[in-house]
Amino acid sequence: MAETYETRGIRRVFLELGGFFKNSLGNFFSLEFLTLFVPLMLLWEFLPRWGILPKSLIPSLSTVAAKFWDMLLHRRLIFHIAYSMGRFFAAFGIAVALAVPIGLFMGWNLKIRAYLLPLWQLLSPIPPPAWVPMTIIFFGIGSKMHIFLMFIGIFYPVLFNTYQGIKDTDPRYLASARVFGASEFTLLRKVYFWHAFGSIIMSLKTGVAMGLVMLLIGESYGGRMGIGYLLGQAKDYFVIPEMMVCMAILGLIGWFLIEILKYVEIKLAVWKVGR
Amino acid sequence: MIEARSITKFFSVVNEKGLAEGLTAVLNVSLTIPDGKIVTLLGPSGCGKSTFLEILAGLQAPTDGEIRIDGRRVLEPLPSTRKETEAYKRRYRFISPLANGVFRDHPKHDIAMIFQDYAVFPWMTAIQNVNFALKLRNAGRRGLSRAERNERARFCLAQVGLGEVENKYPSQLSGGMRQRLALARALSVEPRIILMDEPFAAVDALTREKLQDDLLKIWAEKQQEAVPLIIVMVTHDVAEAVYLSDEVVVFSPGPGSIRNRIPVPLKRPRPRTDPALMEIQDRIFSLFQYDLNQESEYSI
Repeated sequence: MAETYETRGIRRVFLELGGFFKNSLGNFFSLEFLTLFVPLMLLWEFLPRWGILPKSLIPSLSTVAAKFWDMLLHRRLIFHIAYSMGRFFAAFGIAVALAVPIGLFMGWNLKIRAYLLPLWQLLSPIPPPAWVPMTIIFFGIGSKMHIFLMFIGIFYPVLFNTYQGIKDTDPRYLASARVFGASEFTLLRKVYFWHAFGSIIMSLKTGVAMGLVMLLIGESYGGRMGIGYLLGQAKDYFVIPEMMVCMAILGLIGWFLIEILKYVEIKLAVWKVGR
Repeated sequence: MIEARSITKFFSVVNEKGLAEGLTAVLNVSLTIPDGKIVTLLGPSGCGKSTFLEILAGLQAPTDGEIRIDGRRVLEPLPSTRKETEAYKRRYRFISPLANGVFRDHPKHDIAMIFQDYAVFPWMTAIQNVNFALKLRNAGRRGLSRAERNERARFCLAQVGLGEVENKYPSQLSGGMRQRLALARALSVEPRIILMDEPFAAVDALTREKLQDDLLKIWAEKQQEAVPLIIVMVTHDVAEAVYLSDEVVVFSPGPGSIRNRIPVPLKRPRPRTDPALMEIQDRIFSLFQYDLNQESEYSI
């Protein structure tokens, strides 16, 4: 449906936020999911509590929740999350700002493809964690190193998916735009990009997942802040509830970012929704 | 006026053994289409008529020969010698020979084209599709303002009966409506020439007749103008070809070339059941029949 919004300003913001939470949290409050989820949570709470599972290895839900509250108050959990996310977004922004245009140009032009594609084909199979030692030598331990590692993780999936989407653009659309007199730049902006839009969003979702992996790997190699650091400390002191809190937070962050991307897709690719 | 001088198009394809093989899609086709005529290219599938139309539109370069529209060449032919090939490759290193330009929107010729599968952009609403074409076509010349463009787009959509659905996406429209949208988009830019590649093949029979009549009506309206509209249409529907056109150009396959040119000197509006029309249809059918019989005798 082509929706036309009459509302403007702050009410529009609330409307969009409402739409976002309806789309993202809606899945959780479905009857089907709750019939699975509530028993699972109850099992998690009561199996360790009744001693069916060893309490020391698998702490119950309430223990983990209490630990979360404790970390929030005494371990500056919010600060660690903000720190990790700040670096994550820096890396994500740089990677997307580079990978999407390069992918666009590589898909658009054979000559640019011939120059660049083999380079990425050689570099991309190197597993991102293999970059860690070199990165530590060049950037030392700190923000720069973390950002670079996440960048490596996000860059290639975004680049290749964008490139593939652009390359597969239906030549019929190009032909019809060309007959009307579209310049190459207009083709890129109005035809190639929108044709590849689905795969670009898909690539960003893969990028989020890879970025979180590299976030953990980077932070486990050093630094004094971030969720990965908290997780590493929990491992060193063998505090299982803390590990679980960190895992849950990472899961939530990944879920939230992907929901944001989904919502962006729904909002921008309206023509797909009606289908 | 469209002049095609001995157009030949040669492809290399890979055969089932995985070897490169030559395929002559169009061989030595010469055709002149005067202003204000409707010409249909008729023939069985794979006889090179669509390829010929794409060469007319400048979407493929001919291997040999040239197309001139009002005396201006459409695309330079592909190189034939090694030296020419090198020069050609150097010239089109970064930009395809089909491109209109890197940043400047500017059509090479005043053509609009309608494709078999419509090729309306699914990510634009009906009115955005029309606006897109209008904006491109008017980029250099008389610049229409945004409001004027919107008004003109609405007018064109209403002309083909899509006034109610201007804010719908193509995926929400029926096949016939999508085809009419493509027609509105093509007409909105007021082209000299409309090229159509089996435009009504995918719509149902009733809608097809309606669309044909719409097309004739619009064409007739443009005949009073200084440069009357030319329509070149590819089809494999004999009745459609005879009903619409001033001249039917019958193509034969392997390699694609002109077999016959059959004028249809009947006044419009033509009743669909006009005996003279039927007679021309029968003649074309008997042509195809003859070809089929000859072929079967040959193969036995």
